[in-house]
Amino acid sequence: MSVSTMVPIVTVPEVATIVDIRDEIAEVKTFYFVFDNPEIERSFRVRSGQFIMCTVFGAGEFAVSLPFSPENDRRHISVRKVGKVTAALHELQPGDKIGIRGPFGNGFPFEEIKGQNIIYVAGGIGLIPLRSSIVHVLQHRSEFGRVILVYGARSSRDLMYKESIQEWKATENFETYFTIDRPEPGWSGEVGFVNQLVARLELPVEKTVAFVCGPPVMFNSVIKELKAKGIKEQNIYSTLERHMKCGIGKCQHCAIGRTLVCVDGPVYTYKQIKTLGEQI
Amino acid sequence: MYFLEKAKLPQLFELLKRDYEIYGPVQDEVSGEVIFDRVPESSGFDLEAPIPYNPPKFVLFPHFEEILKYRYERQTKRVAIERINLLQPKVLLGLRSCDLTGILCLDRFFLGQEFVDEVYLEHRKKLFIISNTCVRPFPQCFCVCTDSGPSAREGFDLNLTYTGPGYLVEVGSKKGQKLVEEMILPEAGLEASRLKKRIIDDSVLSFDRVALENKAWISRATNRLTTGFVRPEVWEYIGHQCFECGACAFVCPTCSCFNIEDVNFRTGDTYRVRTWDSCSFEGYTKMAGDHNPRKPVEDRRNKRFFCKLSYSQSKKYLRPGCVGCGRCARVCPGDIGLPNVVTYIRREITGD
Repeated sequence: MSVSTMVPIVTVPEVATIVDIRDEIAEVKTFYFVFDNPEIERSFRVRSGQFIMCTVFGAGEFAVSLPFSPENDRRHISVRKVGKVTAALHELQPGDKIGIRGPFGNGFPFEEIKGQNIIYVAGGIGLIPLRSSIVHVLQHRSEFGRVILVYGARSSRDLMYKESIQEWKATENFETYFTIDRPEPGWSGEVGFVNQLVARLELPVEKTVAFVCGPPVMFNSVIKELKAKGIKEQNIYSTLERHMKCGIGKCQHCAIGRTLVCVDGPVYTYKQIKTLGEQI
Repeated sequence: MYFLEKAKLPQLFELLKRDYEIYGPVQDEVSGEVIFDRVPESSGFDLEAPIPYNPPKFVLFPHFEEILKYRYERQTKRVAIERINLLQPKVLLGLRSCDLTGILCLDRFFLGQEFVDEVYLEHRKKLFIISNTCVRPFPQCFCVCTDSGPSAREGFDLNLTYTGPGYLVEVGSKKGQKLVEEMILPEAGLEASRLKKRIIDDSVLSFDRVALENKAWISRATNRLTTGFVRPEVWEYIGHQCFECGACAFVCPTCSCFNIEDVNFRTGDTYRVRTWDSCSFEGYTKMAGDHNPRKPVEDRRNKRFFCKLSYSQSKKYLRPGCVGCGRCARVCPGDIGLPNVVTYIRREITGD
């Protein structure tokens, strides 16, 4: 597969059609899309962890991480209604058009971590960018060591990608743990915050990388636990969000420390994040 | 080197006018300020006017620019996207070496990083540059400290140096050569290079002593900024003086942050508009949902000076991001233009 030969769409968005919309959790919908230009539809390639700039015609453009695997996965984005443009996106119906630029950014390591153990830790909608890597790794399951997912949300209603979760629970050689903040009738998983669950679990340390994504409070507490277990800072990856306008390293809105999230990120190791000198 | 008599300037102007929109230093009738602006008439510009209030970057990177036009008809699901490309070839006439250096910084930033900025490239391809040596520095200037003047060394099509009766003309490109030949300019003679050197030496010597003394301090400030050794209290002090007006960014020849908005018109068309932006504004980093990772004003101020002086930014420009034009110092209501910030960092180092 020619991952690196794809030339990103830089200036003029490519038109895509929304073919399906699903409600994920409150305020979050998943939009499946297909490019109108068959040539682009065929050649569009991403790396897990990259992002695109999505145009909602008449409203504007926003940066959004990609939840789909680079291989054999329907193209979609999952978006929370949080501002003007995302609210306009939520008004759209199947058949409506959107514009896509990208993909941009560095992405999660994949080839480099073959043979290693992977721990995914996600909180709430932090699962969105991690899903891409999870699905991709599972597609190449035999090339990795232990693969573990620890996913927490406020309540069972706030868990993203319920369909994928069902699938993952049934996947062999994929250790999954799910937790919600407070007990609920009918919930058979764990209860408590993600960091508490991470602390309790028996996790690999040697030859292990961790991918962490979630709200800042969760992120910081999880990092603390992972470090306590002995996982090195350069082996802990996360993906950052910033206000972005161009996606190509020119508008400078996403400057953090001496880097630009759109071209040097959005994936950083914790070791890098520590030196950037800004809050997450 | 060639020689251009002063009386022949209108002829140069008319020749350029044939192919280019002309931009140059113009004195504003109302305010008396010299502004770098569109010059419609050959009588309308003054090459020896003081350094313009604004840099010429707006010619390449307009304050407000429509980069795309689109129309989406929801009923029929039809989308039409058009690139806007109505650019006229332009000439920058008589820009100062600091401003030319600023353009070279913008070139390296917009064209030389991971991606090429296609919008900027279109502007840049059609540009003709005639720079003008500063035979006398202006009071605000410190280009000698930032290695960007008083005379341009690269990047011009033609470079002028005023001698009194006229201008020494250096050719920097084929386009420039063609124009010189078309005007049938005479050779300036054997003494020309020596004359030019003397003019520049005189100019350097007449810089304010403060500017010359600052030279070493700018590199020390650069060092401190890069290594992060400027204490937070210094940034707080600077931050307290910042009015968050954004003027420094707008008059800076190298500041290039922009915003993009989609603007709907009653006709049903939407224009994607790119506008200048400034890192001093609070909303600059604010994300949807109101999370703002960069809040206090000092946090935003140190970003600006980091951008102007740090090594990591210099790698993008292949030189410091400050070109010593002194405009930020002139416009800043809080008196925290770059020279003053260097002074504050100097005081921190020396303990004064």
